Amino acid sequence: MRDVAIVGTGQTKHARRRTDVSQAGLVREAVDAALEDACLTFADIDSVVVASGPALFGAVNQPEKWLVDALGGHMKPVVRITSGGGTGLAGALAAMNQVSSGFVERVLVVAYDKLSEGALQYQISTLYDPFWGREFAVGIMGFAAAYWRARIDALGHTEEAAALVSVKNHRNAMRNPYAHVKKEVTVEDVLASRPLAWPIKLLDVPPISDGACAVILASEDAVPSITSTPAWIRGMAYYGEADNAANRFMLQSVPLQLAAQRVYKRAGIVNPRRQFDVAELQEPYTNFELSYYEGLGLCRSGEAADLIASGATEMEGDIPCNPSGGCMGANPIGATALIRLAEAALQVTDKAGERQVPGARTALVQAGGGWANLRGVAVVGADRN
Amino acid sequence: MDRTTSASMEMRSEGLGTTPSEHPAFAGRIELPYKLTTGRAASVFLAELASRRIVGSRCPSCARVLVPAQDFCAECGTAAEELVVVASAGSLSGFTETAAGVLGLIRLDGASTDLVHRILDAGLADLQVGQRVAARWAEEAQGSVLDIVGFAADDAPAASEEVRPLSDPSDPVIEQPYRLRLDYQHAYGPYYGRLFDEIATSRRIQGVRCPRCECVLVPPREYCDTCFVRTAEWVDVADTGVIKAFSIIHLEFVGQVREPPYIYAEIVLDGAATRLIHTVGGIEVEEAMERLHPGTAVRAVWKDGEPVGTLEDIVYFEPVFDD
Amino acid sequence: MFGRAINRVAVVASAQTKLRDAWSNRQHVDLISEAVVGALKGSGLRIEDVDFVIDCGSDILDGRSISNCGFLGAMGAHHKEESRVEEDGLWGALYGATKIGSGSAEVGLVLAYSKPSESDVSAFYATQCEPFYQRPVGFDHAAACGFQAQSYLASHSLSEEVFADVVAHDWALAAANSAVELETAPTAGDVRASSRVAAPLHELELSRPVDGAVAVVLASKRVAQRVCTDPVWITGIGTAMDQHSFAMRERDSLPACAAAAEAAYRRAGMDGPEGASLAELSASSAATQLMVLEALGLADPGGAARLYSEGSDVALNPSGGSLPADPIMATGLVRLSEAALQLSGRVGHGPEGASSAIVHGAGGVGMQNHCVFTLEV
Repeated sequence: MRDVAIVGTGQTKHARRRTDVSQAGLVREAVDAALEDACLTFADIDSVVVASGPALFGAVNQPEKWLVDALGGHMKPVVRITSGGGTGLAGALAAMNQVSSGFVERVLVVAYDKLSEGALQYQISTLYDPFWGREFAVGIMGFAAAYWRARIDALGHTEEAAALVSVKNHRNAMRNPYAHVKKEVTVEDVLASRPLAWPIKLLDVPPISDGACAVILASEDAVPSITSTPAWIRGMAYYGEADNAANRFMLQSVPLQLAAQRVYKRAGIVNPRRQFDVAELQEPYTNFELSYYEGLGLCRSGEAADLIASGATEMEGDIPCNPSGGCMGANPIGATALIRLAEAALQVTDKAGERQVPGARTALVQAGGGWANLRGVAVVGADRN
Repeated sequence: MDRTTSASMEMRSEGLGTTPSEHPAFAGRIELPYKLTTGRAASVFLAELASRRIVGSRCPSCARVLVPAQDFCAECGTAAEELVVVASAGSLSGFTETAAGVLGLIRLDGASTDLVHRILDAGLADLQVGQRVAARWAEEAQGSVLDIVGFAADDAPAASEEVRPLSDPSDPVIEQPYRLRLDYQHAYGPYYGRLFDEIATSRRIQGVRCPRCECVLVPPREYCDTCFVRTAEWVDVADTGVIKAFSIIHLEFVGQVREPPYIYAEIVLDGAATRLIHTVGGIEVEEAMERLHPGTAVRAVWKDGEPVGTLEDIVYFEPVFDD
Repeated sequence: MFGRAINRVAVVASAQTKLRDAWSNRQHVDLISEAVVGALKGSGLRIEDVDFVIDCGSDILDGRSISNCGFLGAMGAHHKEESRVEEDGLWGALYGATKIGSGSAEVGLVLAYSKPSESDVSAFYATQCEPFYQRPVGFDHAAACGFQAQSYLASHSLSEEVFADVVAHDWALAAANSAVELETAPTAGDVRASSRVAAPLHELELSRPVDGAVAVVLASKRVAQRVCTDPVWITGIGTAMDQHSFAMRERDSLPACAAAAEAAYRRAGMDGPEGASLAELSASSAATQLMVLEALGLADPGGAARLYSEGSDVALNPSGGSLPADPIMATGLVRLSEAALQLSGRVGHGPEGASSAIVHGAGGVGMQNHCVFTLEV
């Protein structure tokens, strides 16, 4: 197995709606930025992996076949991975395997969604079985709210604790030039915000965004000629869980734990709270971040509310979570997980600007989608395993 | 969505060799509205049709004139930002006839590429590769590629000045409304078929038991997800159960079938080990916030009249409080 | 050996449901489970041995967003690594091979399925076209096939009669393949008598959409040699995509197919297809099948029809190929499964003593995307 590193990243100017670019123009903007970051051109790219949300989001089936022209993919391997909200990381994982197996040397991964094009909640509701529950579905928000309500009772993930996540991520987004929601909020604002799917309220919810992210992966053999500051992918995994399996445990995500176990083992992580300098988590709802703290081993089960209240996950804390602002700053769903990976790469290469966690060398990345049943984890480091 | 009836009661279905007509399906429809962003090149191309001008883009790298205008030259990946006007007549490079009518590939004078469009007033027998065709314009422009109704045979010779710079461009058409409608005939299969037949005929909800973990799975399925062994035995489950989780929906959205506020609930029926997605009713939202919890008992409230065999036969689940 | 992979990757088992017009009494999950269980049966591997699952299906065909997310249990993917490649299943096999080739897994299950009978295949393709220029004028996959056929005939001064011979050849083979449900195969005369649906092509000169699922088990060299007496080795893989706008592509040839083949041969250390015992091809029409053969180097430009009229050293589509049975997202993976079964002598059809195969898969309107595998025993 060859080691693989991130040698370039790029993001679009994310926005509630971009009317100046088509879906193809949107991805191109991120790709141009990533190529420039890596000082590479299309000629250097061996293969392209596209990741995006369901085809219904953009009304284009297999959209990579349209985007190929904008991606410089003519006569190259081009494939699309679509694995729910975490698909950006699933795409990066597919690309990583292409490189580590020796199939290619340099892969362009590009993830995007242009959510302003359509009617998002109903589009997401089509995840549900047409026979069994689709008529009652509220995107994934009704589901997410329901199990948060259950965790309030079982694990003490209170509305106040979740509000602290919102306050933190909104505040962090102020320092992220790519974030399009730039608004500081208070705990009181969050608690008083309009209920959408109680206990989820407006300020527990990320924006709906147009945006794209591109990441260039290179083999250990190709890295030295590209950059002296690669971000090494020290482990990455993406696990699934049958949604309506018997007695499915809903208070914590088992596939998240499985992915973390596998990746931590490979990267030699035994004490995540101490060994990680920073984490980028795909919330997207505030209460998810609380649950991830526990699932990723940043604290014990039932201690997430204490962890956020302690300030440990703030920029100044010992394990800053989402210095980018996470999904609260921008949430172009299909791109969101790749944005987390790109942000982690910026952190460990000291390129994160105003949102830099000083001295960060090892970063945790988490991604997910579906009904909390598709979950991915990655470890990115300034050093190799 | 509606459902006719299901005759598919067999538990094991391999090699039945039945024909489609014997198995009614569940008619599903996905219908969604969009506002699609056209992007720079298309936004100008579509706008200029109102002025009866056809716009292409010139690739600065390979110098080809791409028509209709493209943001990127596909062959070299270069951004093709220079917009030009080409002739609205050209020659026919190819043609075919499908259910959509006669379609042609047209090389407009000055263009380096073909475009695809409708061919008007001609059958296949009338057409020849290489013949001259010209655009026929719609009376009223809509900002769509169909502002060119199609191309028809035309004797006019090729224009002397084929490619001109685009001057005085109109306001771009930056977005287009779009409606996607997809219709499905979802097969019931033997498991859902029996489930919904039983609901329709006797308001009985049935699951299957996994022989290994002994859990009862509702809706029924051939393989237990966790054990990946074949389920073995049909089992009745109750129309009572407990709330596994719930939330109170205030959000309004396109395609919603219940009027907010209402209670979204995942319910585990007594006897089952899986979740059923439905709503809780018979309780005010304010009271629900106080009194409902994971574990609260509920029972199905069935719709009056003949059931049809969907989850909509249950109006909602109502809470059953001890007091 | 492809790329620089240290571990060789083998196809150790595969199975498919019967391919038929409509499995109207079974759901996607039923077909998927049948294929998975069939592939594992007798393979010496159990579902617990499977490290990861890659699946290829289409939300638009299934009528469900990220439909894989709802089918995980039926796939045997519960609590395993899983990803959806929304392309023909041969690209799923590419993913699986790189994952095993990287050394990060030993056993992978690759799945592909479609039930076009529940849906509208023309909408599946039409929605792949960008929505501003191509979709409104009624351009779709059938039109692309028609344009390709017209252009191919004109470029090589051929008569349209050549298409019917290709179709009759493949349908006869499919009729002899128990995996394809087919009562009688049409003669070339029947083909020519079928209605013209994408001029110059007749209905039977386009591939027939069918329902079905296929599962292929890939394994590392270590596992393959343990469980299998006759592992089929993947020696090369190549893939390439053409530009989006059909009108701007070559129409009398498939350069992306040629690029994919060249990459596969290069990785396999081959100069070309010489020496291959058989080829399993995915084509949307009789015309593009001839173009695929030429792109793979099995015939000179314009010369592929002679492989049918004069005979071919390489057995062409011993399974019948995609024209009589095209399960859309599963077509290329069915080709891989078929080729592997033939190389290991586990099916009745295919050439005697076959030792190597070329497998081709395609995706997109007018076959925009191509993937080629080379195999050997």
